[in-house]
Formats: sequence, C-alpha cells, structure tokens
Amino acid sequence: MKKYIGFFFGLSLLVSACNLTQEVEIDLPAYENQLVVESYLIPGQPFFVLLTTSFSYFDPFPAETSQFLEELLVKGATVTIKYGDKTVNLSEQLFFNPFTGKLYNYVSSQLVPSDFTSEFQLEIRTTDGELVTAKTFIPKSILTDSLVIQKSETDTLYRLLAYWTDDVNEKNYFRRILNVGSMDSVYVDFTLDDRLLDSAKFVVGSGYDFSIGDTVINTILHVTKEYYDFSNSVSFAASSNGNPFSQPSTIRSNLEGSKNPLGIFAGINPDQRTVIIKE
Amino acid sequence: MLKNLLLCISLLLFWGALVAQERVVVSGTIKEAETGETLIGATVAVLEQNQGTATNEYGFYSITLPAKDSVTLVFSYVGFQTVVKKLFLTGNQQLNIELSSGVELEEVIVKANSYEERANSTQMSVEVLTMREAKLLPALLGEVDILKILQLKPGIISGSEGSTGLFVRGGGNDQNLIILDEAIVYNPNHLFGFFSTFNSDAVKDLRVYKGGFPSQYGGRLSSVIDVKLKEGNNKEFEGAGGIGLISSRLTLEGPIQKGKSSFIVSGRRTYVDIFTRAINQANQDKEDYNPIPDYYFYDLNTKINYQFSDKDRVYLSGYFGRDVFGFEGDFFDFSFDWGNATGTARWNHVFNPRLFSNTTFTYSDYQYNLTTKVTGFSFGVGSKIKDATLKSDLYYNLSDKQSVRFGLSTTYHQFEVGRLQAGSDDGEVSFSAGQDFDGLEFGAYISDEWTANSKFTLSTGLRLSGFSNDGSTYLGLEPRMALKYSLSNRWTTKLSYAKMYQYLHLVSNSAVALPTDVWYPSTQNVKPQVSDQVAIGFSYLLGKQYLITNEYYYKWLDNQIDFIDGAELFANDNLEEEFAFGDGYTYGMEFSIEKQQGRLAGWIGYTLAIVKRGNFRGVKDDIMEGRYFPPRYDRRHNISVVATYEINKRLTASATWVFGSGDLSWLPSGRFTFQDIQGAEFKPVVPVYGDRNTFRLPDYQRLDVGLVIKFFPKWGESDLTISVYNAYDYRNAYFIYLEPEFREVEAGNDLIEVPERIVAKQQSLFPIIPSATWNFKF
Repeated sequence: MKKYIGFFFGLSLLVSACNLTQEVEIDLPAYENQLVVESYLIPGQPFFVLLTTSFSYFDPFPAETSQFLEELLVKGATVTIKYGDKTVNLSEQLFFNPFTGKLYNYVSSQLVPSDFTSEFQLEIRTTDGELVTAKTFIPKSILTDSLVIQKSETDTLYRLLAYWTDDVNEKNYFRRILNVGSMDSVYVDFTLDDRLLDSAKFVVGSGYDFSIGDTVINTILHVTKEYYDFSNSVSFAASSNGNPFSQPSTIRSNLEGSKNPLGIFAGINPDQRTVIIKE
Repeated sequence: MLKNLLLCISLLLFWGALVAQERVVVSGTIKEAETGETLIGATVAVLEQNQGTATNEYGFYSITLPAKDSVTLVFSYVGFQTVVKKLFLTGNQQLNIELSSGVELEEVIVKANSYEERANSTQMSVEVLTMREAKLLPALLGEVDILKILQLKPGIISGSEGSTGLFVRGGGNDQNLIILDEAIVYNPNHLFGFFSTFNSDAVKDLRVYKGGFPSQYGGRLSSVIDVKLKEGNNKEFEGAGGIGLISSRLTLEGPIQKGKSSFIVSGRRTYVDIFTRAINQANQDKEDYNPIPDYYFYDLNTKINYQFSDKDRVYLSGYFGRDVFGFEGDFFDFSFDWGNATGTARWNHVFNPRLFSNTTFTYSDYQYNLTTKVTGFSFGVGSKIKDATLKSDLYYNLSDKQSVRFGLSTTYHQFEVGRLQAGSDDGEVSFSAGQDFDGLEFGAYISDEWTANSKFTLSTGLRLSGFSNDGSTYLGLEPRMALKYSLSNRWTTKLSYAKMYQYLHLVSNSAVALPTDVWYPSTQNVKPQVSDQVAIGFSYLLGKQYLITNEYYYKWLDNQIDFIDGAELFANDNLEEEFAFGDGYTYGMEFSIEKQQGRLAGWIGYTLAIVKRGNFRGVKDDIMEGRYFPPRYDRRHNISVVATYEINKRLTASATWVFGSGDLSWLPSGRFTFQDIQGAEFKPVVPVYGDRNTFRLPDYQRLDVGLVIKFFPKWGESDLTISVYNAYDYRNAYFIYLEPEFREVEAGNDLIEVPERIVAKQQSLFPIIPSATWNFKF
C-alpha cells in the first residue's frame, strides 16, 4: 500500500511548475475600420471632439511613437455642434490639456453653456463624404452633500465616503471617479444608476486605503443614459476578452452614420471635490 | 380534454379486463440478492416464445402469458447471475426474484441479455450508466462524477473543460431535466460546475433520454437525466467510503427490520478549508499576508423504505447539499453559500398483478445567498426557487401485446429572483431589488405500448402540460411516438418523435455554471420554449458481445431565450428587457459500438452535431439583427473511447480518450483607442466585437487512465483507485485571449507605455493531474 502512495506523490511532484499559458497564432474575422468619436459637453469647458479611426485587431502598431497620432487621428473633417439657434464650428487643431492629460483634434474656444438644458446636435462630415450625427443634452447639476473621512478602528488608515441626493422623480445615471494624488492616478471608477435606490441619498465609499496627507479627488458625474450604456459596454468589452465567466459586448454608441461609427457624444455634469486626508 | 383522457383510460382498462380472461399474469419484483435493492431494467424473457419485458423504475414487472402453458422464464441483469424458472401457468402468479451479483453462468442465454432487451424496446436515444462502471473509470482529482461520465456518451457534449455541463443534441445546459428520486435538482453543480452534486456511493441507477422522450417526462426540451438513489441494504448492515485528495465520503446502510425495511445515509465533504485555515493561522502575524478564503462543499443523502406487504412499499428520501465560501477580514466580511435540497415521499402499490401505481410527493429548492459587510454598510443578494410536486403514475399490463401507462402531476413553484438589500447600517441609504413569482405547472399523460408481433412494436403517447403564472396561462399538447421494427434477430430499426415544452428558463449568459444563475418562469412576455424532435436509429448485434448503434436526429427549437449584448442579469427588476426571443434548429448523427461484458468492456462513440440559433428579437435590442449564429457549444465532431480491462481479480485498468472540435468563442475583430473623460484611465486598446461565436478554439483531446487495485482485508474490501487526468499532458485551450504588449517611451520627463503588438494567448486549465482515492467497504 505504501509503495502506491509513494508513487502517487512522486507523480504529483512532477506536475508542479506547469506552464498553462502559451502564445498561439490565430486568424480573426475580417474587419472594416470605423470612425470613432469622443465628445463630452461639460458646462464651462470648451467644445471639443476627438475624431479617430479603429483598426483590425492585429493591425501592426507604428514603430515610431510619432506616427501613432498620424495613423490614429482623422483629418480634414467638418465638425459642428448646434444648440438652440447657435452653431459652433470646431476647427481642426491639436489641443492637449496637460492637467487632464487628454487630447482633442477638433476644438472651439467657445465654452459649453451651463444653463442650456435642451438638445445639442453634433454633425461630422469626413473628407470621403461620410456623415456622422448625434444628439445629447446636459444632465442637471448635482452637488455632493458631504465627504466623510473615517478612520479605521484597528489601523491608521482612512476611508472616504461621498453622499449626494438623488432626484427620486427621474431616472438618473452617474459615474464616480476617485483619483489619488493627481488626475491620472485612478483609485476607483464605476458607473451606477438609481433604479435600485429606495432612499433619496446615495453613498459611495472606498476601502481603508488612505493615509494622512493623501490628496483625494472625488468626482461624481451626472451622465445621460446613452453615456451610461456606452461606458458600461466599453467596460464589458474590455474585461471580457476570452474570459469564460463573462459575456462580451458590442459597443453601444449613440452615433448615427452609414458606416456604423463608434463612440459617444454626451453631456456630462461633474461635481469635483478635493480633500486632503487629516485627523 | 381531461374528460376525453379519462374516457380513453376507462376503455383501455375495460378492454384489458376482457382480454385478461384467456391469459394469466406473472408479476413481481426483481431484487439484488445481497442487498435487497430493486433492479431497474432487469429483463424477463420467455424462452419458448419471442416475448419479454423489463422491470420498471421501481423494480416491478408484469407479463401476460397464455394460460395452461408451461413456460421457462429467464431473469437477467448485466453483471448478475441469470435465474431461470420453469412455471406451469394455471392462474396469475406473483414471482419475486433475487439475482446474485457476479459473473454470469456459462450457459448465458443470448436472448435474454441486455442488448436484446434494448433492441426489443421501442425506447431509443437512451443511455444508461451503472455505478459499477462509473467507479472504474478515471476521474479528475479522483472525484467520481456521474455527469462527467455522461459526457463520454454519444450525443452528449461537455461544457468547458472540467465542468459538469451537458449539452444534449444541440440543446442548452438549461434544457436538461435533472431529477433525483423524482425531485428536480435545479443546480447540479458544486464549485462553479467542476463537480456535480451526485455522490456516486448513494446513486443506484442513472439513465439519460436524449430523444424519444417517454410521456411521463416533461418540462425541459433536450434531455431527461433520471437519477435514482439506492434504497439501502435490507439484509445486513454495511458501510462504504473513500478518502480522496479533496473530499471524503461515508455511506452507511442496513436493515431496520430485516427484509422489510432499510435505511441509507451517505455524506461527502471536501476538506481543502481545513488546510487553508491552518495556513492562514500560521501566517496571521505576517503584515502583508492575504488570508485564503474558506471554501468547502458537502452533500448528504438519506433514504428509508418500508415494505408493508408484497403490495405496498413506502420510500422517504432526501438530499441536502451546500457550497460555502467565506472570508472574514478586519473591515470586510464576505459569505456566499448555495445549494439544493430535495425530498421525496413515495408510495408503490400493486392493485393487482396487472396494475401498479406510484404516488409521489416531492419537494425541491435551490437558493444562493451572498452577503458582504463593510464597516457601517451591508449588502445582501439571493435568489431562490422552491417546488412542491404531487404526482401519480399507473402502469397497466393490458395483455401480452399491450401495456398502458398514465398519470397526472402538479407542481407549485415559488421564485425569488435577484432579491437584494443593501445600504448603510443607519438606514440613511438603502437599495433594494427583486421579483417574486409563483406558478403552477401541471401535466397529464397517457402512453400505450403495443407489440404487434415479434418484429413490430409501437409506442404512442400524449402529454398535456400547462403553466400558469400571474394571469398568464400556457397549455402545451405534446404528442410522443416511438416504433421499433426488427429486420432480423440482429438488426433493429427505430423511429421516434417527441414534442416538449419548457416553462422555466435559466438566466445565465456565462459559459460556466455559476451559482447565481437563476430560474425564471414563463410570464406574459416570456413564452414557454418548445422543441420537436424526430430521430431514426439502427442497431446491430455483432456476434454475442458487441452492439452497434447509429442514430440520426433533427430538432426544431422555438421561443428560445438569449440575452442581449451587455445584458444586466444581476439584481435587475426588469430582467425581461434583457431577454431576446428566437428560434433554432439542430441536427446530427451518433454512432457507437459497445461491449458490456467480459474482461474488456467499454464503448467507442462518435457524434456529429450542428446547431444554429437566431431570429432573436428583444424589447430593448435584437441580437445580431436577427441573424443566425451557433452557440459556443456547437462542436462538430466528437469522439470518445472508453475501456475497462480486468487484468485479474485484484487489478482493473481503465482509460478514456476524447477528441473533438473546439468550442466556439466570441473574439473581437477590431480595436479602437479610447481616452475617456478627465480623471479616467486612457485605454489604448478597446476590443470591437462583431458577430457572436465566429472563432473556433483548437481541437480538444485528452487521455485519462486509471487503475483500481483491490485488497481483501478480513473486515471487508478496499481498493486504491489511481487516476491520471490528461495523461499525456496535452495543453487544451480553456479560452483564448488577446493581449497587447507595451513598450516604454520617453515623453518629456515621463516614461509612457505605448502598445507594441498584440498577441493571442491560449489559457489551459488542467495539466496532467494524478490522484488517488482509497475506498473501503465493510
């Protein structure tokens, strides 16, 4: 009997250190490049649009970094945003915001109004005649009621709770981003809606992860349903890459166009607060 | 409708009474001599004429024979010694038979072997699994799993690697009716489907119907998996068990009153948590140590039965199983448990030698509960389905050429779907969700089996099913038909048709079985699923030992349910908005050659299967604009080879080899760069998914080998069962994913990462895994 058990354990040892991941060559279905639009209307900020193209999954990336933008950005388009009786023409120029780290290639110096609640219309016409349209509105402003810093009972770490009030008469959609230190360091980022909320108050928190002196930037964004669906579909698509536990998703865009453009044109109303963790 | 049914039954009974005057009936129960367990499907053959029958699922048989004839009856069952009885028939006779296990006698009567019985029955598309066979085959981590062995049978395709998922003739994993002692098991899985809930020590018999469904079954489209628990040894006390790598088992059984009543209690529990707790304790002082969460599962089966007389026998049986997953931290507690409970009370009554009845009450529930507590806040979500069923079945042996079976059943269902409670402990913030339903499902059926002559047998049946929930009522008329024609003693051809209705639907869009998959009833918007299946089959007895079977089927699927892209299935009060309804079709061919007896036994099976679903339209969205697409499990070719070889009394070797087309996978075809809003992370590669399931994973292949070494100590028997899973260590694809690789470049004073290339990677799950289990019996 003992010799059999010894044999079995010997075999078990052989199994250790197995490499279960390996690179393989595969062919993916044919794909036709699509236009990709990102445009967020944030009250008080300039009108801007990022117009790029998508690629086949295995298309090679440029060898030189400088060529990235060259291949990515779509040039020569005519971009306008209309609201009420106003028309904003966005001119083609590269605008990089060093504070947010974001880049746009069609911009206007005009600012998005904070008191216009009706429809905004986007129209993009590319050099090859493709027309992309979309519409949105800016959800009303919501304000964070309170930011609460709580110390853990067993440790010297702190957590941050953010409370705000929901308008129970409408369906509302939100995104919450928590940055620590700077805007490009994301601690947590998720979307949520009020369909399951019984109370008028919302609360979102964090783990007990912050120390005294940490700068924490809490942003609650009031977003449209189209933005919420788009944002979730991007997350689903990004996280379900071959994962048998989740279902992939197509991207839910709110753009109209003959060649199935991807992306989002959305009004967003953020409330951003910065706190420094202290006793 | 019901009136007509009753009239029909009365006429049949009356006719039966007339016919009965010239004939006599021999009836009784066939049992295992050593334990008193009833034997299901044991054959009774009349040597002088080409006539026979088999015991029903309660071990009862009834055969009508010409009066005043001297006949020789041959009672047999695979792996048991045949019993031959000579009778002089002057009147009805009750004849209870006990068969001893062991090698059959030399003078094996070919007519009475199980192949003959299978060839003679109108029932096609059925697979039977004996526990004796199951325990000899190699198993992953040494855990004998009857659902995984079923995956080796032709026409039954497995889910993802290592899972217990069953996809029968193009049907979904949710279209299998799984019943344990007649109670429905809603989630037959432990540990995300890696193990099934059935403890092989407690199981007596398992059969799977892939088509040609008998009329007594209804409620699922694609298969019926009927599991019967052992009754317990009513002659002497015995125990059995096993100590394995991840779990241990113990079964005790014995008579309560010798020959009349018995009990069986069987339990299994995993013990990985005992080691993980010890590891956690040893490391608790280490600062950066992350404790391993607790996980275990257990099953408990019990059954008692009492035989009041030769005419009445009562059974009570129950199953309870749970998976428990938990974690307790300084600020964060998490617990997640799920499992099934079933209970069955059954009464068998023999009214007269021709009429046998079974009345059953069953209870079944499945639930999961997930709770999380963080200082000041809590979150809890759970779902539940609860059933109570009352049913009655009657078997009437009308004449030597005809038998009838009829019955009624009614089930009361209660559903709690996605019940969620969350919020702050002070009540300032609270969330809730959940839907409650109740439904009434019923069925009435009658089936008739008519043997025209030794060549031709016709079985016809009709089932009326229905479901009612909150004002919406659905009725389904389900005709069933099967016929058999014997071209010769060796050649048989069979044909069948069955319509099935399914009133409950599983809400799941994952490729693996998750405990959070919930059942959802038919409602005003969610129509019952319907299937129609035709099948034709041929069987040929090659020599005395080999049976060749070849079946072809086509199945139409209607009101199929799938989920739209990005469906939110968790804690959603408007789940129906995430559904899309479509149809489908599936067809294929199955071929097998098997050998049940002798030192070398086993089978070789080949399955060709094609399935497409489409035309999916939903409230919110359609799926692929209604175009047809194959599901993930649409595997074209599947081969399985299963063999056991008894080297000598002490050693039995076994091997299984499977080879098949890979699963389909939904991989992206394009990508885009998404910079997102300020404060959010830049995503250089976001996949763009096109049509569903267009990519086929590489072919799957695996060899498992096993060796059972028997010991004969004074106190009983024991064996060491050694299994080597994936013996030649083949890397099968569990899934394939695409991964961008980045390089760092300088941008001003910073280093930033830019994508350099995308590689496809294959993830495998199990390498070669040897395991050993020590089993004992006393």
